[in-house]
Amino acid sequence: MSLEPRRPVEHVIECENIGKSFPAPGGGRREVVRGITLRARENEFLALFGPGQCGKTTLINLIAGLDSVTSGRVLVNGETVREPGPERGVVFQSTAIFPWLTTMGNVEYGPRMAGMGRAERRRKAQRYIDLVGLRGFENAFPVQLSGGMKQRVGIARVYCNEPRVMLMDEPFGALDAQTRYLMQEELRRVWEAEKRTVVFVTNNIEEAIYLADRIVVLSNCPATIKREYAIDLPRPRNYVSPEFLGLRKEITSIMDSTL
Amino acid sequence: MRDDNRRNQYFLVSLASVITVLLVWYACIDVLELKSQIVFPGPVKIFRTFILKLHTRSPDGATLLSHLGASLKVTMLGYLLGAAAGIPLGIAMAWNRLVDRLAKPLFDLLRPIPGIAWIPLFILLFGIGTFSKALVIFLSSFVACTVNSFTGIRQTKDVHLWVGNVFGATRNQLLFRIAVPTAIPMVFTGLRVALGASWAALVAAELLASNVGLGYMIQQSRAISRTDIIIVGMLAIGMVGAILDKILHAVEARVAKGMNVR
Amino acid sequence: MMKIRLSRGMIDVLSGAASIGCFLLLWLALTRHTGLGELIPGPDVVLAALFKGLFGKVGRHGILVHAGYSLARVLAGFAIGGAAGVVIGLSMGWSRFAEAVFQPLYRVVRPIPPIAWIPISIIWFGLGESAKVFLIFLASFANVTLNAWSGARDADRQLIGAARMLGANQRQIFLTIVLPSAVPQIFAGLQVAMSNSWATVLAAEMVRSSEGLGWMIVTGMSNNDIVQILSGIVAIGVVGFVLSVAMRKAEALLCRWNHGGR
Repeated sequence: MSLEPRRPVEHVIECENIGKSFPAPGGGRREVVRGITLRARENEFLALFGPGQCGKTTLINLIAGLDSVTSGRVLVNGETVREPGPERGVVFQSTAIFPWLTTMGNVEYGPRMAGMGRAERRRKAQRYIDLVGLRGFENAFPVQLSGGMKQRVGIARVYCNEPRVMLMDEPFGALDAQTRYLMQEELRRVWEAEKRTVVFVTNNIEEAIYLADRIVVLSNCPATIKREYAIDLPRPRNYVSPEFLGLRKEITSIMDSTL
Repeated sequence: MRDDNRRNQYFLVSLASVITVLLVWYACIDVLELKSQIVFPGPVKIFRTFILKLHTRSPDGATLLSHLGASLKVTMLGYLLGAAAGIPLGIAMAWNRLVDRLAKPLFDLLRPIPGIAWIPLFILLFGIGTFSKALVIFLSSFVACTVNSFTGIRQTKDVHLWVGNVFGATRNQLLFRIAVPTAIPMVFTGLRVALGASWAALVAAELLASNVGLGYMIQQSRAISRTDIIIVGMLAIGMVGAILDKILHAVEARVAKGMNVR
Repeated sequence: MMKIRLSRGMIDVLSGAASIGCFLLLWLALTRHTGLGELIPGPDVVLAALFKGLFGKVGRHGILVHAGYSLARVLAGFAIGGAAGVVIGLSMGWSRFAEAVFQPLYRVVRPIPPIAWIPISIIWFGLGESAKVFLIFLASFANVTLNAWSGARDADRQLIGAARMLGANQRQIFLTIVLPSAVPQIFAGLQVAMSNSWATVLAAEMVRSSEGLGWMIVTGMSNNDIVQILSGIVAIGVVGFVLSVAMRKAEALLCRWNHGGR
């Protein structure tokens, strides 16, 4: 929010030894995240890949500030995260787009809250609506859109708010396989057109290898870091190239051994 | 998030809120005498009147409890008959096309007329006795029960009926094993709406023409400016309405066990 | 497809007309040829009286003017009660402190049917318009408050999280997330409030008034004029129907986003 120049930081996101536990039903506490240290550089596409239901979403919520850490700390741009803020955009699995607003209304929401004038924010929103391929659906309400289109709105909405960091929580998890491939390709295209620092949570290994610069493999509950892989294949990547399949086999095998 | 400490705090706020209202009321009426007790009686006077009305017949001819008993008797009569007629009609209209075609238009004609609008007609035709009042309550209850049972049956999912069909259920089995259980929550919603409407209709009927009952009691008290008795009567009406609603909730929890009742 | 749908619509209209037509014919035949005719008039007489009354006079005014009086009272009380209900309900749903303050008071007042306030409203406000507007205020306030309250309280946590992440502050979250989330529920409350208000104004006019549709049917009762009562009831039904259709149209317009389908 401040107008002073951004302090140069080496890592846009720094998670230092963070842990999170919730009160368990029936007493005690349930540990969901344990001792995770994680860093992301400017414009890096980082995938968090892991099995099961717990841990990954919590990790995203901690970075987003939607939830608070029980131990350790999260820094974004060198500042401790305490609550949600516009420099960290989240794309939710359940889309969480506002059902009473049109596509345009959803995408321009962030700038509108920040007090940007109508004409300017409309122009800006239109750019991102076009970028995610929703031209012609500006005045449609979410009930009129398909699952993939809703997720596009969610992505455009976050892009339009120009966050430093984009956090994506299994954004394509609820889509059918065909749409999922399509959306992976779309996201790659959009991200290469306008690079951002992305933390992308997924339980789909192909998706992680197709999109990410680096994959962090998490263990099942409580989530800890098992291994990291840097992926330096040129984009767009080929799902059936030997390198792709080799990586896929390797990561899958270390997952199997932990289950 | 909402831990016990917080909850206790808010309970104290609620308590403070009630006490403040009572104190302000007491201070304005009993201490500062901003309004005369005749127009706006204080809390102490209302409490005294309440105790007194439990065993005194004056000035309206019956104790609080006998007024209450008379009101409850008529309400229950009309309410239960209305439910007994309305629920089957609603189910039949939703399930059977012929009944729907023939009964629905007549029912839609009846629906926008509030039950209490029938009071003058019934009193003129049948006098001011129990029958007229029960008939008004019957209509109020009947309409609410029919509408909600109808909606409930119409909410049955086709896929559930297909499953029934696949397993060779007869049409009656489909109705009683699938559609009716689906409709139960809505039927209870109807019963609750009907109860509120019945209780209100009873008060209206007793205000207009009666010689006993809580509505009669508050109307008589108005004529002689006994505001304290009016307020006691209103509180009794409210309390009994709330208790009846609670009882219905308990019944619902029993009947609809395992179905997603809030 | 088109052909089938069309003919089905036709059947609905025809069966509706047939059902209502049969009812009217039966009513006519019974009043013409049996003893029932001495008790109540036939539909022809009632409709004739209605048309005559629309432009002629029933008491001091035509039926249209009586309906206008009743409607004006309803709309005035409904506007005030609805607005107050929305404000208090939303604040209760948004702030746990406001919830703790208002909840116990609301719990005491809500179960008392607005009709039971008629006697005391006459003592407090006299026989003029303000007593009636006060009653309609009560009738609409209670339902709207309840629905605005639960609508705001049940606003989707994830949507609130999304708004915070996009940079909205508390005030903006309330205005752009909590408020629109509650709108469908508020509308449901307004619809119930409207039909309760309509019933309440009739009751109030029946107890004490010198014009309005409630006055029309109650003077019909005291003058032994069943034709006046029945034509009044028909007018009440028509206005009630128009009010509920108007509320549904307003809801469809304002909650467009809530109705699926292209």
